Amino acid sequence: CSGRTSTDRMAWSVGKVHLLVYNTVQAIGWGLCLHACVPAGWLRGDHHGVFAQAGSLIKVFQLASALEVVHAAVGLVPSSPVMALMQWAGRSNVLFLVLGAAQPVQSSPMAAVMLVVWSMSEVIRYPWYALSLTGHCPAALTWLRYTAFIPLYPLGVVAEMTVMYQSLQHLEAKKLYSVHLPNTFNFAFSYSIFIKVLLVVYLPMWFSLYSSLLRARKKKLGGKEKAA
Amino acid sequence: MQLQIKTRSGKVVATVHLDAVSTVRELKKAVHESNKRLHPSRQRLTLPLPAGSTAQTKPTVLEDGKTLGDYGLKDGSLLNVKDLGLQIGYSTVFFWEYFGPLVVYPLFYALPHLLYPGVTPPAQRPLVQTLALAYWSFHYSKRIFETFLVHKFGHDTMPIMNLVRNCAYYWGFAAYVSYFNNHPLYTAPPVQQSVVALGLAMLCQLSNLKCHLILSNLRKPGEKGYKIPKGFLFNYITCANYTCEVLGWALFTVAVQAVPAGIFALVGTVQMAQWAIQKHKRLKKVFDGQEGRLKYPRRWIMMPPFF
Repeated sequence: CSGRTSTDRMAWSVGKVHLLVYNTVQAIGWGLCLHACVPAGWLRGDHHGVFAQAGSLIKVFQLASALEVVHAAVGLVPSSPVMALMQWAGRSNVLFLVLGAAQPVQSSPMAAVMLVVWSMSEVIRYPWYALSLTGHCPAALTWLRYTAFIPLYPLGVVAEMTVMYQSLQHLEAKKLYSVHLPNTFNFAFSYSIFIKVLLVVYLPMWFSLYSSLLRARKKKLGGKEKAA
Repeated sequence: MQLQIKTRSGKVVATVHLDAVSTVRELKKAVHESNKRLHPSRQRLTLPLPAGSTAQTKPTVLEDGKTLGDYGLKDGSLLNVKDLGLQIGYSTVFFWEYFGPLVVYPLFYALPHLLYPGVTPPAQRPLVQTLALAYWSFHYSKRIFETFLVHKFGHDTMPIMNLVRNCAYYWGFAAYVSYFNNHPLYTAPPVQQSVVALGLAMLCQLSNLKCHLILSNLRKPGEKGYKIPKGFLFNYITCANYTCEVLGWALFTVAVQAVPAGIFALVGTVQMAQWAIQKHKRLKKVFDGQEGRLKYPRRWIMMPPFF
């Protein structure tokens, strides 16, 4: 939200229209996901069933968000395609591969927390993108977009890491997505070792992302106060 | 003249007294004396931006060899300083990042009972494992040799985080490649394949050394600025040194027929390709054929016939 008030200063290119449509669809989609998680699941006292209630819906919109990597790659948005890919891959890995394989973990409290946190974050982020594109973004939403992450981010990371950790025993028992020696090309891959490495790398990686979000927040929110 | 050195936020970190014939190097020393934290290699001194500059204007960076008079500095002049953070010498970083692979790779060859617990090694070790060890060791010894006796670095120092990052890359990949090359369950390709591939790879290594020698002799002592590389493969390829390196690792991969070695080769190739594109662009920009300058000849960037 740059505070532009005159809509005739904006050029509605195909790309921009596409982004508006995409962000609106995602905003609605994740709203549905949140509805599936919270009222349907949690308020009924059924937090073990959040994945069962909302899982399929979340999978759809998470899959669709792969488009964001394309947006970054073609320059439609200013983000780095590598970062976008890493974030999409990280979440998809947990949702599809880890949770998909480790059935018992699907009904764990942390899995529920993770899905709720994702939905809450997206329900703020996508409307903010969509409204920013039109230039009519309420300051309150901008504040929310740059503040909600402060509790949600750490909560989400902890939930994701716990889910991965809890799934390890199931992944190892099923020997999933793994290749063993000996073979002609001398390749081996152990998915459970991969997840363990990911767990080690997650903390410093997300810590540095968190600090850069805090810095961006200072710039976006702090600067506005000075200008006013 | 008296000069005041301040940070971007406006805080004065040092006040020094020098004359117009003093060099920037001496200026940095004086700043360091006045401010113990700012070791000369950490200082990036710039002239304040002139009036009317935009956010895009790049400030003039003071070069070590020039004098204060060269920059028109007078009594009362202000200079900006940026703290580049803790620095470490180029050669130091290069040495440690190459020394690691020399130590790490042989560990898996020499200590199978320790590093592959519970797996019985075969009665006869495949020949290629020994050849690969020799090739790998030669490669990194050559790199250390070049670090101290061949390369002429464009900069003295780099930020200390680079040491951590570069060592993580080299040592990490050394362990990854070596673990699979020297695994008791390793499957060797036909011996002829390994021997021929490594022989050709050796040729690439020697060519790469020749390329480095050419590059190192491009500038005579005291000369600054870019020169057009020529001779040997440089007549056809801008970054012929990378060409040899990439081919060398590709042949190593063929010799050991292992995916981890291939991944290592691929990652290195991507990085070198990025550097090659930058170098090629830079040289084309400098040697544009205008105002009496030479025009950079049509050449491959790194890997004929692809780019």
